[in-house]
Amino acid sequence: MSLSAQLINGLALGAGYAVLAVGWTVLLGAARLVNFSHGQLYMLGAFTTWFVVAKLGLPYLVGIPVALLVCGALGLLMQLAMIRLTLDQKIVNLMVVTLAFGYLLQGGAALLFGGNPQRIDSPFEARSLALGVARFTQQDVLIVVAALVLYAATFHVLGRTGVGRTVRAVAEDPKLAQLYGINAARVYVGVFVFAAATAGLAGAVIAPRSPILTSIGFDEVIITFLVVVLGGIGSILGGLLAGLGLGLFVAVFGAFFPPAYSMAAAFAVLLVILVVRPQGLTAR
Amino acid sequence: MSALGSEVRSPAGSGGLDSLVWTGRRGPLRWGGRLLLIAVGYLLPWILGGSDRIVTTCVLIAIFAIMSYGLDLVLSYLGEVSLGHTLFWAAGAYLTAITAVRLGWSPMPALIAALAAATALATVLGIATIRTREFVFSLVTYAAAVIGLTVVSNSAVFGGTDGLVGIPLLSLPAVDGQYVARSNADFWPIAYLVLVLVIGLISRFRRSKLGVTALMAQMNPDLATSLGVDVRRTRVLVFVLSAPVAALAGWLYAYQRSYVSPDLLSPYFLLFMLTAVILPGRRLLLGPLVGALLLTSQQELASLGGDADKIVLGGVLAAVLLLSPDGLAGIWRRIIRGGAGREIRPARDEAERRA
Repeated sequence: MSLSAQLINGLALGAGYAVLAVGWTVLLGAARLVNFSHGQLYMLGAFTTWFVVAKLGLPYLVGIPVALLVCGALGLLMQLAMIRLTLDQKIVNLMVVTLAFGYLLQGGAALLFGGNPQRIDSPFEARSLALGVARFTQQDVLIVVAALVLYAATFHVLGRTGVGRTVRAVAEDPKLAQLYGINAARVYVGVFVFAAATAGLAGAVIAPRSPILTSIGFDEVIITFLVVVLGGIGSILGGLLAGLGLGLFVAVFGAFFPPAYSMAAAFAVLLVILVVRPQGLTAR
Repeated sequence: MSALGSEVRSPAGSGGLDSLVWTGRRGPLRWGGRLLLIAVGYLLPWILGGSDRIVTTCVLIAIFAIMSYGLDLVLSYLGEVSLGHTLFWAAGAYLTAITAVRLGWSPMPALIAALAAATALATVLGIATIRTREFVFSLVTYAAAVIGLTVVSNSAVFGGTDGLVGIPLLSLPAVDGQYVARSNADFWPIAYLVLVLVIGLISRFRRSKLGVTALMAQMNPDLATSLGVDVRRTRVLVFVLSAPVAALAGWLYAYQRSYVSPDLLSPYFLLFMLTAVILPGRRLLLGPLVGALLLTSQQELASLGGDADKIVLGGVLAAVLLLSPDGLAGIWRRIIRGGAGREIRPARDEAERRA
């Protein structure tokens, strides 16, 4: 493939990473929470879409909001179960609980959807476009559009509205915000549901590019982690740029080396950053 | 020793069962009790009927308990959640397989290679994460394990997704020639001996300067620093020490199963380790053994099928942390105290009176 084709591919890949990571960026920035079941929610978003399209026979565009709702509802249940741990800021225990939830979701999905690889039949995947020599599908365009809209909306809501002010107040100082009359528990629930729903959205729009299995989701957590950390924890714009950057890196790396090692290479970069410049991890 | 024990006790995981194994009288009576316990433990497969299924389950319990003790060192005494310990366990098993199958090494040199590889990996990872804590530490170790899975599944050296098959029988030098483990019944004495040695090591660690320092660094890093403790050095040391313990289990498992495959790096073993340590309650000497016993018994003797077992494992771990973060020991303590406050002293006194 030519370089321009790789760049187009990297752009679509990176936009997908950005969609995947936006929930985590907000979750970590606003609530100092991490959700290890993020990858499984992505998987569930993909399988919900597949179920709606393949089993219920509804159009793909109906599958996307259904996936969003299902994952958002699961996020709501999880956060309601964890609300006491969250308010006590038991970060370590919370992390392990979400890891356990992820494993539960994986087992449940395997029981529900079976162990065979599936393909989401998206009408956009079949239609390919060309830009010079580079070819791409409408699905790629959909992913890029979804990323831009999602980031613009998140940026606007967090930065310019009352809801955003409330979330930022809780992020700054939860105790003081509560004294001021803000319900921190409600903010935590809201942020967690947003993160879960966007993971579902990511599954619905990205997964048609390749076959899906109920065992996927672990790489997605690592991708999310890389994007969030490289973009600067809590930074929306940084997340978008880091997502696109990582996508381009993976696409270009995959052109020269076995693609299976691209994540390993990205991780090696992260390890070097950790050693050389650990303060980059806490920068806003 | 008992004075030291009360000093380093943390508010979260103390009293009750902990006191029974941690403090107590020294002397012939205590040693006699320990030896009796060790002897009964050894005879357990036969006490339970000695069927093939029981013996296999007991061997797996021993191996998985050793694996969990590796994570226990970091989780209980450093208070950090390492999600990368499957890496050390898999390193132990894979190095054993590669040296035994490809190079024809015998078990002891293979063991040394396994321990060395895990220690080297842990040193690199420990130094890279030296300035990270909490979720960043967990995420980096988790990422290391996921990347490890990708690398192992895709490279020919490790046999790709098929893994490596044809690991020879475990054969160790004995008084009269060689002791060859042809069956799980032959394997049991070796696995059990290693388990007892590992528990001995953990028990020594708990009383060692490093163990006390680690607890202090966990409970109050600022105080530890002001008392002249190098907190970062302590954290790396404990992390590095924990890796060969997990690798030891990997070495045993490679021989017991006679093949290795990338499933060693799967989240199943990660969740298993975490649950085995957290379910009984952190910082208990015999905790990981009890945890491994409960989990392995369920999976081997009362399995509901692979996917349903995942729900059981994930569900148990989530439920413990949400309902009783101190695990079964926490529930037990609440029962014997009748739900009274959380002071440490009364529980300790009561435990000592019982002992």
